[in-house]
Amino acid sequence: MRYCKTCHVHYDTDLEHCMLCGGDLEVTENDQSVYKFKEITKKSRSNFFYRLFVFLNFMSIIITLSLDYLSGLPLTWSLVVSVTNLYTVVLLMILLNPNFWASKFTKVMITTIMVVILIGLSLRDYSWAVDIVFPFAVASTILILTILIITNRKKWFDYFAPLLIITIVGLVPGILFLLNVLTIEWPSIISFSYAAVTLLGIIFLPSKSSREEFKRRFHI
Amino acid sequence: MKKRKYWYRLDNAAKIFPAVSKDDRSNVFRLSFYLDETVDSDILEQAVNKILPRFETFAVQMKNGLFWNYFSENQKYFKVEEEPAELCKFFKAIRNSGYMFKVYYLDNKVTLETFHAISDGTGALQFLKSIVYQYFKMRGFKLDHEHLILSELPYSKKESEDNFVSNYDKNNKLNLKEEKAYHITGEKFHHHWVLLYKLKLNTKAFIDVVKNKYHVTVTQFVTALLAYSIYKESVDFINHKKPLKIFIPVNLRPYFDSTSLRNFTLYIKSTYTSEKNDWTFEEMLALTKEQFEDQLDKNKLHGRINALVGFEKNVFIRMLPLILKQIAFKVGYNILGESINSCSISNLGICKLPKDLEDKILDADFVNAGYSIAMTLISVKENTNILLSSPLKDLSIMSHMTQMLVNEGLELIVDTNYKEVYDEIL
Repeated sequence: MRYCKTCHVHYDTDLEHCMLCGGDLEVTENDQSVYKFKEITKKSRSNFFYRLFVFLNFMSIIITLSLDYLSGLPLTWSLVVSVTNLYTVVLLMILLNPNFWASKFTKVMITTIMVVILIGLSLRDYSWAVDIVFPFAVASTILILTILIITNRKKWFDYFAPLLIITIVGLVPGILFLLNVLTIEWPSIISFSYAAVTLLGIIFLPSKSSREEFKRRFHI
Repeated sequence: MKKRKYWYRLDNAAKIFPAVSKDDRSNVFRLSFYLDETVDSDILEQAVNKILPRFETFAVQMKNGLFWNYFSENQKYFKVEEEPAELCKFFKAIRNSGYMFKVYYLDNKVTLETFHAISDGTGALQFLKSIVYQYFKMRGFKLDHEHLILSELPYSKKESEDNFVSNYDKNNKLNLKEEKAYHITGEKFHHHWVLLYKLKLNTKAFIDVVKNKYHVTVTQFVTALLAYSIYKESVDFINHKKPLKIFIPVNLRPYFDSTSLRNFTLYIKSTYTSEKNDWTFEEMLALTKEQFEDQLDKNKLHGRINALVGFEKNVFIRMLPLILKQIAFKVGYNILGESINSCSISNLGICKLPKDLEDKILDADFVNAGYSIAMTLISVKENTNILLSSPLKDLSIMSHMTQMLVNEGLELIVDTNYKEVYDEIL
């Protein structure tokens, strides 16, 4: 034990000086005071490169938008670069955030679809993105998640939420078809039909355990 | 029988924590036992995995529903880790096999850090006692549990009950409107490091001062002690527009006959105006006693439970998708959550252990790290430990408290996680 004669307190740790007054601690002959916690090591600045990456991407957005604006023409190429910069940052955030990989995969697919559509809008030609890429990307994501559920039934509940979300997203091309937004219609009909069948399958083909999962996921 | 499928809705206290927790606001609290031997980490890990199925409310993982989070069964193998340097460190459950608690070892210390969404101090203490008891059993010791170790007793469904909901009465609601509180400010340690300052004192001598000299309870005494130290040592408190408000969790189990291991804690507040500039310790103590007696009334506590549960039962709130609820919780907590408290005090009381186990446990810690000074108390064997955690570098409030206790004739033993070399790092 150590002792501070100014503050009149004993210390059961290996400090040389009193925390309160800064005075020297008296050490008794049979002192066995030890530090009882894990010692800190100097931390590396692991966040620095992440922040630098985000900063450089945002600088890229500002510079490209400014250069394109100064050319006097409507913004085009700078919008594509900016969307790509934003996509890179969001992609990194999704990948670094600890989560089930099925959830990460779904988020990446949804973000990619949005980026493709934004690039299409930037180029004033979005039909290829909305008509073809969007429905096929959604349908293939549903297919991959369905295969995963069938092949890995023990963990099906980990894929349940991503499958439900992407299935609902898969219905959107059908709505766009009804609103006459599309020029090529058959990919959207395929996506809508596939999503609708999957959704009906989720609702009407449940086992006892999937009904239980429904109850858990939708409890109010 | 071991259950394979179960799930729970989050209780009222737990609902907000998943949305608002982050590096500097972990909502994790720590309980530690110092053993009379160096901990064998392999046996500790086996002990945790052996008793985990008995503690259904701990053997869970949190999942997202469309409207609310929920706890789902978790049967993954649990791994113990070496204690990190940071106290009550924020952790992501997905990196911990989905579990919302951590078990650490360091030399002769076993530490349980629990995310507040799954349990409160009382529930976590039961879990830690069972882990350590099982550890010694696996080490080959024959111990008598004296009906004080939960893992040795039959499981009761009451342990998993949400007592906020079971005690809900929509006809008796209290208004929960709160004014903002004074905040202690100052330079903070880097890397969200939190200082721990532990005062160990003899329980008998402490009770003698508290009960016989001041005629108050231990919690009332330490609340007034902290309030008076803040008043004396904070240069900007006097004439500050906001009062000093100390947040004190109250264990509701004795009031509502509960044995739940889930959260069943409410809080009271001790409030001291900043307009008065001649406070004495005795005045603060008298006011504290009065406020405790007023607020620790079963009917009033029940009214506050009903108001809180009534909020979550609101149809509009219930129908809101989880993602919007999480945004609302984050915004609401940032605006109100921390602004209505100056600091907190949590007294876990006496840690009752069977005699055979008591002989093998040297000491105990209970730590709650927050955005300001957080005081916690736990009594084990013949000592009471007052633990103060703070992210602030200034020690004047702790120093004032220490001197007041010394002036009462109490012998204090200080321990800390601070080292002189940390001045260079933190």
